[in-house]
Amino acid sequence: MPEGTLCNRQPIQTDEALKTLLSDTGGRQYYQEMQSLPVDTPLLWETIQKTCRSRIRTWLSMCARCGMCADSCFLYRINDRDPKQVPAYKIQSTLGEILRRKGRVDNAFMQMAMETAWAKCTCCNRCGLYCPHGIDMGVMFGYLRGLLYQQGFVPWELKIGAGMHRVYHAQMDVTDADFTETFAWMVEENEEDYPGLAVPVDKVGADIMYTVNAREVKHYPEDLAEAAILFHLAGENWTVPSRGWEQTSLAMFAGDWEACKIQVESVYDAMERLKPKRMVGTECGHAHRATVVEGPYWAGRKDGLPPVESIHYVEWLAEALRTGKLKINPEKRIKEPVTLQDSCNYVRNHGLKEITREIMSYIVEPGYFIDMSPNREHNYCCGGGGGFNGIGLYRKQRNKALITKRDQILSTGAKLVIAPCHNCWDAIRDLEEEYRIGIRWSFLKPLILKMVEIPEHLKPEE
Amino acid sequence: MFKKILFATSATEACDHAARVAFDMARRYHAHIDVFHVLGVPTRGYSQVVVDLTTGDEVTLDDNYRDLVKEEIRSYYDHQIQTTDDFAITVTIGHPHREILRIARAEKPDIIVMGGSTGASGSYAHKKAATGSTFQRVAKAAHFPVLVINRPAASFWGGFSNVVFATDFSDAADHAFAFAFKLVKELNCEFHLFHALDITCFQTDNFHTQDTIDDQIRNAIAQIRFRYVSKMGDFKPYAMEVWEGIPFVEIVKYAREKQADLIIMAYNTRQTDDPEASIGSVAEQVILRANCPVISINRSVGKE
Ligand code: SF4
Ligand code: SF4
Ligand code: SF4
Repeated sequence: MPEGTLCNRQPIQTDEALKTLLSDTGGRQYYQEMQSLPVDTPLLWETIQKTCRSRIRTWLSMCARCGMCADSCFLYRINDRDPKQVPAYKIQSTLGEILRRKGRVDNAFMQMAMETAWAKCTCCNRCGLYCPHGIDMGVMFGYLRGLLYQQGFVPWELKIGAGMHRVYHAQMDVTDADFTETFAWMVEENEEDYPGLAVPVDKVGADIMYTVNAREVKHYPEDLAEAAILFHLAGENWTVPSRGWEQTSLAMFAGDWEACKIQVESVYDAMERLKPKRMVGTECGHAHRATVVEGPYWAGRKDGLPPVESIHYVEWLAEALRTGKLKINPEKRIKEPVTLQDSCNYVRNHGLKEITREIMSYIVEPGYFIDMSPNREHNYCCGGGGGFNGIGLYRKQRNKALITKRDQILSTGAKLVIAPCHNCWDAIRDLEEEYRIGIRWSFLKPLILKMVEIPEHLKPEE
Repeated sequence: MFKKILFATSATEACDHAARVAFDMARRYHAHIDVFHVLGVPTRGYSQVVVDLTTGDEVTLDDNYRDLVKEEIRSYYDHQIQTTDDFAITVTIGHPHREILRIARAEKPDIIVMGGSTGASGSYAHKKAATGSTFQRVAKAAHFPVLVINRPAASFWGGFSNVVFATDFSDAADHAFAFAFKLVKELNCEFHLFHALDITCFQTDNFHTQDTIDDQIRNAIAQIRFRYVSKMGDFKPYAMEVWEGIPFVEIVKYAREKQADLIIMAYNTRQTDDPEASIGSVAEQVILRANCPVISINRSVGKE
């Protein structure tokens, strides 16, 4: 049987192909074609032999099936402790099985594996913390996704998302011109209130090169404005690159390794070109993982590091508050019960747990900050990680997955949830829509902007 | 004065009053009218999928769908569209306030016309996340005058002839005055310059006696003369008045008494600590209650 016209093994390479796939509303035809998409088993096995690192093989064989990871997985707990949701089972029945069968699996198997990889694991890496051998399903599912993507078994939205990165070097159809133009627009909108506000583009040798999430450019340019204003108020010497400004990577969610490399290299090129002292990324968890944590390996960087020191927005913000570059008006601190979402991608996986709490200590009136339980590196995924949020096909499963976070938030009693991560923010927004528990949710930037003191010399003339 | 009107609409009843005024202006002043509609807001995380604001369905925007919605809008405004031949219909996706600001920036209309409660559209979470209504966010950031009609504009009979300019003596009010004066001159209107002295801030302060209030009223009259009347040359059909009270109440009362068919005023945001507060300015309170159209002007209007 031939491959489909929409659902096939070819990645999206052109704008035209993107539009065609997009116009297949909901992926109707795409998923229909998937029903008869053949599995290229020789390719699958060859790829495994070339790419499956020994760590993954060892993990798969050393897993004692003791089940200690079961309770660590929020999806297992929320799905009535279904044995099929035990992390070890999920990976053994998919990746493990593919290896055992030397790649000889059929269409039905691949579709099952696709559902497992995208609807039964958010790559939150929590189980790895609880397995006595440190076996991490998040890592293995990330690998499995790559195999599935190569065979064309990938959710419709993610095929599009990865294609966007290939065509636009961004997760949405936002061009480089759109990016700088939108920043210019935001300066126009705010320069009255913040005289001297400017967004320096392609400035060489700045202290900070700022990178963003294309969604901010397309739909929430306020976020860009807020970032610019806060850098301005902090007196930073900063810049944005006219190319290589997109920090996120839907390609990573999709398992499109080649697109991951293309995307992250565009950011690294900007670093090499502009030679900033540091890169600061926006409030996004997976963007940080893609550009700072995993990116160096995709790009084949020997030292395992990006070309310049790269930090998450919360690290910059904590530093700015700590050193007094930004001063909070104590009167305006948050005086209501408030809680914080620990994003797996930079808290569990990159150790920034105390940084966000330090920020809370500056912006929340003592006594009003309430941690979720569990928290820090033990926090549960918001319920929408790893691409889960955006996939229509698995919307039902995703909505169920949100219940964990819903109940965690409810038991804090807080009505305001700070979510310094795009994905978590989306999930929490959706859980309010789905379950109406009466909460508000916010990134850090708009909150800070409401309480920051404007230095005398930066105030508008009255 | 009005050569190009941007009419931002939800194409539902909420915007019917606004539509009446927008199309009347287009016909009367031979203006081009852009009917602009944001059909959906982004949803499903990072995906390209949007929720249709009218039907609640999840859709992806393609040319077919765009044409379909355009056709619906055309038939919704069938009557009014027949009175003008210079119009265009544009539909897009995104967050309404952002997209209205985007097209305004590109098209540079003389005025943006919108319904007072267009912010009420959208999904539940969309409404909750938006800090403030679509109007608030447009009025705050637009570089163009924004005309809003919230209630049935009972005293709008067609065209403008009797205009109230309500000032708070802010920078933005200077811009509002410049616009208002140009309008009354060009359209031959009666012009009422008005200030409402805010006495709510006196209530806890015993030192302010009626004398002080009278002083302030005299002061305000002098300011009106100095700031505005002095710039009006030999323009005659004007009157000025200062009333004390709660500003939005007085403005609405005054406009009613004068049977104004248009109020022009500054849009100034007020910082509030209440996170749920959605009423940020006097202009918004006036809009909620006035029975004529209100044009709000922020301090970046008229600047290029
Ligand atoms: S805890 Fe570790 S060893 Fe035990 S079943 Fe889970 S993955 Fe296997
Ligand atoms: S990575 Fe997270 S979602 Fe995936 S199996 Fe482990 S705990 Fe569950
Ligand atoms: S969306 Fe947030 S909480 Fe969920 S997996 Fe990603 S970083 Fe973790």
